[in-house]
Amino acid sequence: MRRGLATGLLAGLVLGLLVIGTPAGAYHTHFQYGCNDTWFNHDPVTRAGARDYAYIAAAEGYQWGGGCWNGNNVDDSPGDPPADPNTLGEGGDCSGFTFKSWYERAETGDPWFRYHAWMQNVHGPYAAADFKAGAGASNTTVAKANTTYMDAFAASNHIGMIYWANTAFNQDRIIEAKCEACGTGTWPRTYRGNPDYSGVRRLYWAG
Amino acid sequence: MKKRWRWPLAGFVLGALAGATVLTVNVVGASSPAPVAVRAGEFGEILHTPVLLAPAGKSVELSYDVVCGALKDEPGSHCAPSGSVFVRSVGGSTFAKLPLEREADGLLSAVVPAVDAGKGFDYYVVMDNGRGRTATLPEAGAEAPQHVWALTDWTTIDVGPAHFGRSRAPSSVLRELSWGRGDAAIGLDSGREQSRIGPSAFDVAPDGSVVLLDQVNHRLALLRRGAPAAHLPIEFSGGEGDLAVDRSGAIYVLDSANKPMVRAFTAAGGSIAATPVAEPTADMIRVGPSGPLVHSYPSEMWLRTGPGRPPLGPEQQLASAQAARSTGGGLGVVVHASPAEVKLALVRGHRVVHAWLLRAESSFGEVQLAEPFGDGMVVVVRLWNEKHAEFRVLRLVPEGLVQSFDVAPAEWAESASLSRFRLHGNTLYQLRSDPSGIEIATFEIGGTT
Repeated sequence: MRRGLATGLLAGLVLGLLVIGTPAGAYHTHFQYGCNDTWFNHDPVTRAGARDYAYIAAAEGYQWGGGCWNGNNVDDSPGDPPADPNTLGEGGDCSGFTFKSWYERAETGDPWFRYHAWMQNVHGPYAAADFKAGAGASNTTVAKANTTYMDAFAASNHIGMIYWANTAFNQDRIIEAKCEACGTGTWPRTYRGNPDYSGVRRLYWAG
Repeated sequence: MKKRWRWPLAGFVLGALAGATVLTVNVVGASSPAPVAVRAGEFGEILHTPVLLAPAGKSVELSYDVVCGALKDEPGSHCAPSGSVFVRSVGGSTFAKLPLEREADGLLSAVVPAVDAGKGFDYYVVMDNGRGRTATLPEAGAEAPQHVWALTDWTTIDVGPAHFGRSRAPSSVLRELSWGRGDAAIGLDSGREQSRIGPSAFDVAPDGSVVLLDQVNHRLALLRRGAPAAHLPIEFSGGEGDLAVDRSGAIYVLDSANKPMVRAFTAAGGSIAATPVAEPTADMIRVGPSGPLVHSYPSEMWLRTGPGRPPLGPEQQLASAQAARSTGGGLGVVVHASPAEVKLALVRGHRVVHAWLLRAESSFGEVQLAEPFGDGMVVVVRLWNEKHAEFRVLRLVPEGLVQSFDVAPAEWAESASLSRFRLHGNTLYQLRSDPSGIEIATFEIGGTT
C-alpha cells in the first residue's frame, strides 16, 4: 500500500509540475492579473489633458494586445516574448495605447469620450492600420503638414502620437508604445517625413 | 476498480494537487503586480524647442508648454503652470527675470527685447505647475543655461525642388547583411502592432572599418574590408540606441531605453565604463574633443559623459551641458530647423564663425547630419511631401552651395532617427534597408556636381 501511494504521489507531482509549471515559467510576469475593468464615459477632454494622461504610461511596458499600466515608472514585465498576448505583461501596444490616450469608446460608431483607468485592461477595436485609414466615428485622417500635438502618425504596423512637434533638428517627439524591448515612452522620431506614415486625428477635442 | 490501484491513484491525485499548489503560490502569486505606485505629485515635464540662432537686432520669443504629472488615476483638469525666464545678455553678469505670459494657443511665452538679444544671450526657465511643484530647464539653470547666437550675417541658399525618385546611386556598397541571428546576419525586431526595427546605428572606425549596433541581437558587428563580420556581445536593455567611435577606436553606445545609458567599450569589446544619462530621453551620441556627447531631452543640449573611467555622472553632465555640439578646434555646430527653413552655424564660443539659411520648395524634414567640412559644412536633410521623401546632401562653403545630390531614403526598417549617415574623410556613409536586409553604402563628397 505504502509503495503504491508513494509511486502515485511522485508521478502526480511530476505531472503537476510539468503540466502547470511549463507555461507558468514561460509566461512569468502575469501583470494583467492585477488589472481591472474600470471605465466611465466622460465629457470631451483637451489635447493637453489627453497628453497628461498618456505621459503616465511613459517608462511603463509594452504588451501586444495589452492595455494596462500602473504608473510606477518601471516596466514591470521586461523581456517577455514579443507578439504573444499570453505573456499578460504590462502596457498597451501602439494602437491600444492610442485608443486609451484618446479617450475613445469601444463602440466604433460613438465618437465621444470615455475615461479608461490606467489599470483597465482594454485594447479597443482599432489596429494601427485602422487608425491610418481614419476608421471609427472618432477618428479621421489629416495631412501630416497640418498636424499638431496629440494628433498621430500611423503606418500599417505602428502608430505614435505627437508629444511635442518640431524639435531643433526638426523631428517630432512622439509618445508611443514602441516594442517589447522599448516599452512605452517619448522619443524623437522622423515619422512626419516618412511616406509609410499618414496623419491621423482624434475628433471633438474640448480644446 | 481493483483494490491494488486505489492507493497509487490516491497518491497520483494528491501529488498533482501538491504540484499545482506549489507553482501557483510560488510562481504566479509571487509575480502578481505590486500595488500601484503612482508617480504622484511629480512635476511632469517642461516642453521647449531652443531657439539657438536668431537674427541680431530683433526680439526673440521663447515659448514653453508643460505636461502635468498626475496625482491619481482619475480624469483631472490640466494643471495651471506659471513661471519666468531668466535672461543674461552676452557680456552681462546677471540674469534678468521675464515673466511668462499665456498665449491664445495655450503656450507660455516671453519676449526677449532686441536690445538684450542683440549680441546673443543665455537663458533658463523656472516653472511652477500650479500644484506646488517647480522645475528648471535646463536643469542646471544659471550654471549651464541655454544659449542663443545672434546672427549678423548668413548665406541664404535655395536648395531647389525635390527630385523624388531620381536619386544618385551609391559609389559603392561596402557590405550587405540579411535579416537574422547568424554570423552573416543582422537583427530585425518586427511584429504586429509595433515598429519594424533594424540595426539602430553605425559609425566608421579610424581604420575605415564599420561598427554596427546590432542591438536586436545584443551585439556589435565589426565589418572590416575583405573579412567576415566579427561580433562583440554587449549589454543593451532598450529597443534602440546610437553609436560613435572615437579616434582611438573606443566605441560609445547610447542605449535609448526609458532610463538611457551610455556604455563605453574598447575596440576589442572590453567594457570601459557605463553611466546613466541625466535626462529622460536621448537620441544621439557623437564624439567631441573631450569624449562622447549625448543629445538629450527636454533640454535639447549636449551632455558630456566622459571618455573613460570614471564617467561623468548625471550632475556633472548637467553642469557641463552645452547648446552647441563641440567638434574640435574650438568649433561648435548649431542646428535649428523647421519645415520652412534650416538654420546652420559654425560657432566659436559665443561668436558665429559662419551661418547658412536653407530654403526649399518642399518641406524640410529632419537634419540627419551636419558636420564641419573644410571651411564649410556637409549637411544631409530630408525633403518630403505627403507621399514621398528623399535625402538631400549639401556641401556648403561660406560663399554658398558647391555640391548637391539626392539619396534614396531606403528606410524599410527603422534605425535611430538621426543615425542613418556618417561622414568619414571625404566619404558619406549611409545605412540602408529593404525587406531582404541592410547595406552600408558610400557616396563621395567633393567636386561641384
